[in-house]
Amino acid sequence: MTPAFLLQTLASLVAIFLLVALAAWARIARPAPALDADTARALIAEEFPDHALGPVWVAGDGAAAIARSQDEALIVYRAGDGYVARSLPWSKLADGRASGGAVALKLGDVTAPRIRFSLAEGGAWPPPMGEAGR
Amino acid sequence: MTLDPVTLATPFFILAVILEIVLGKLGKARAHYEGRDTLVSLSLGLGSTLAGLLTAGVVFAATLWVYQHRLFTIPMSAWWAWAAIFVLEDLTYYWFHRLSHERRFWWASHVNHHSSQHYNLSTALRQTWTGGLNGSWLLWLPLAFLGFPPPMIAIEKSISLVYQFWIHTEAVRRLPGPLEAVFNTPSHHRVHHARNPRYLDSNYAGILIVWDRMFGTFVAEDEPPRYGIVKNLGDFNIVRAAFHEWASIGQDLWRARSPREAAGYLFGPPGWSPDGSRQTSTALKAAWARRRGGAVPPEPEHAALTPPGLNGKPRT
Repeated sequence: MTPAFLLQTLASLVAIFLLVALAAWARIARPAPALDADTARALIAEEFPDHALGPVWVAGDGAAAIARSQDEALIVYRAGDGYVARSLPWSKLADGRASGGAVALKLGDVTAPRIRFSLAEGGAWPPPMGEAGR
Repeated sequence: MTLDPVTLATPFFILAVILEIVLGKLGKARAHYEGRDTLVSLSLGLGSTLAGLLTAGVVFAATLWVYQHRLFTIPMSAWWAWAAIFVLEDLTYYWFHRLSHERRFWWASHVNHHSSQHYNLSTALRQTWTGGLNGSWLLWLPLAFLGFPPPMIAIEKSISLVYQFWIHTEAVRRLPGPLEAVFNTPSHHRVHHARNPRYLDSNYAGILIVWDRMFGTFVAEDEPPRYGIVKNLGDFNIVRAAFHEWASIGQDLWRARSPREAAGYLFGPPGWSPDGSRQTSTALKAAWARRRGGAVPPEPEHAALTPPGLNGKPRT
């Protein structure tokens, strides 16, 4: 490991720090407003185009939503300024653990292991069968 | 001093990212950056450089060994040699890139580059940490066997990498027609990075888009691209970004019930599963075509080379 290599690596780390700081300062992420029933339904329909959507349940903070499609729970949730979509058997929602006004739900996926689903005030978990809206 | 185009271009990379962010901030260009996404992209870039050093010696030694058994001796000083390697290296890149998308073992390394939901110049630097280990560098050995000197091959590979940096942007919409016809452009490469079903497995070009036109993988930009992978990552964990597909392969191999299933999980197309319960690109494109009432896209041209059941079409 030569001094030149170490210097180049250090300079790269400094450059990364500065570029990330600049990107954060610029605040030019895509707009990602809180989901409501309509936008959540549209997003889920786009992610799961071959599924017939039943009721949609939106998280209290608008950062996630779950739609029922027969025996499946179709889930979208925000990651940064984008969204991630996964599906689970509806029965698996009962495994979620509620605490502090949110539910931690394991997705069983290396690429997206778990989500935190914020409950609306007075919201129950799991979503009641057939309940729609927030 | 060695001539490494990537090293020489690094200051340009940094300045170009700064320029894109500033133009995006001023509203003068279309550019979206998210801090954590940018951090993952740039860190994967640095990590890729460091990881590449681990295998660079083996790759260089192998290339040198093959060159010692070359068919011809091609001079680095001849203009025609540079013209020839430009075309041949780009053709090699096309097939490397296609392999990296259409077979899971190589996709596991390449997926890093596609796992951002953004498409900006920092995405270009989001490179693999495991590419040196999957043997894809073997594809360039025929160039040495033909007689191209190893430094010439390395320089041409770097030129291709540098070219492909600037096309990772939404700031440039379309170039004049003749350029769009011949070269890989921001528009063509946006399609390549999109997860819209109609855009999957298309536009593999490095510099010349003519290969995609020639081999039937060209798709023009039409509807707005949605970037990322079919199943986007759930967070900004850099270790997950670097290794998630390898971990998924490991899980699948653990569950495999036969050597055939193991081979399918390893060398089938991404999304392959023995019971067809997952979706490959071919299946996703077919579903898209059905929804719009059009013709189902034809099987990939390479399907005939693939063992039955591993051709990207769920078994029935």
